[in-house]
Amino acid sequence: MVNSPSDAQVIGRSLDEPEAFGLIYDRHAATVLRFLGRRVGAEVAEGLIGELFRIAFERRKTFDASRVSALPWLYGIGSNLLMKHRRGEARRLRASARMAAASEAADRRASAGALDARLLFPRVADAIEALPDVEREALLLFAWEDLSYQSVAEALELPIGTVRSRLNRARAHLRELLEPGGEKRVKRR
Amino acid sequence: MKPVDLARKLRREAAFEPAALDRGKAVLMAAIRQEVEPRRRPTIVPQLPYQDIRAALEFLERAFGFHEIPTARLVSAEGVIGHSLVEFGGGVIGIGTQGAHRAVSPMRGGVESQYISVYIDDIDAHYQRALAAGAQIATALREHVSGRTHRAYEALDLEGHRWRFVQLMREVQH
Repeated sequence: MVNSPSDAQVIGRSLDEPEAFGLIYDRHAATVLRFLGRRVGAEVAEGLIGELFRIAFERRKTFDASRVSALPWLYGIGSNLLMKHRRGEARRLRASARMAAASEAADRRASAGALDARLLFPRVADAIEALPDVEREALLLFAWEDLSYQSVAEALELPIGTVRSRLNRARAHLRELLEPGGEKRVKRR
Repeated sequence: MKPVDLARKLRREAAFEPAALDRGKAVLMAAIRQEVEPRRRPTIVPQLPYQDIRAALEFLERAFGFHEIPTARLVSAEGVIGHSLVEFGGGVIGIGTQGAHRAVSPMRGGVESQYISVYIDDIDAHYQRALAAGAQIATALREHVSGRTHRAYEALDLEGHRWRFVQLMREVQH
């Protein structure tokens, strides 16, 4: 049986044989596209996926060969690209909040919870929006993409201790913003 | 509920077109090819303005078989396409924004100030493709015997740019 080469080996080979980088796309593009889609919707994500891998290809010399998987590195490039799409991202998040509130309300029809959900989810969206960029990015990579602390650290190019403290700060911020009266501290962009 | 769990409730999947991944791969492979053998661009590139670039690119591909150069697309932060390039055979044409560089789409200006000739190999198939895609045929396909014998037709695209498609016929041997 032949073991398939690791991402690091493939990227190493692509320095001399650029075509080899196509395999990195085949392995990870579907995952990365879903990530972009969750953040900015299908249309923008479809426009970004090729761009993201083009940037990765052009920066492949800087890939840290001690990392086995290229996925966190690709998430990091994606996170940077998403910075240019903050408005679209905020729009999608607010729409998601409305949908979550509506489905929660349908689940618990005529209960007190329904009213809570209608108020709560838009506030969660606003609170996420109000987080500083690095905290929001760390939180969403952790909560939506299920990345480990180590992977978030690789994606954001931060020491793992910093990721841990950013995530804790994000949690504290959210908790604070969701307290009664907390919405006053949510600054709308 | 914990803050992270609340954030998780707002996670929502997007619905992608089936070809989304293929298009992205084409962008990457074009960048790879460019590194392997830098593309030679024609010396002259006509620039055509459109009010709706996205629709124009889609139509030019579907009706005339022009392929967008995947790495050429310029997109603003709002997702609006500002410019791109399409290629066909050895030719490249810029697809730009109405009004930029003072270029005016016929749809806006009401005049055609130029037309573009495109030389192709199988004009019957091309004509059928353009018809099927809903291109407006401005001059029906017919043979011309002045100068070198050729068959040609003219079509207008979505915004009224005029395209002349020409197939040169083989010289009859005496």
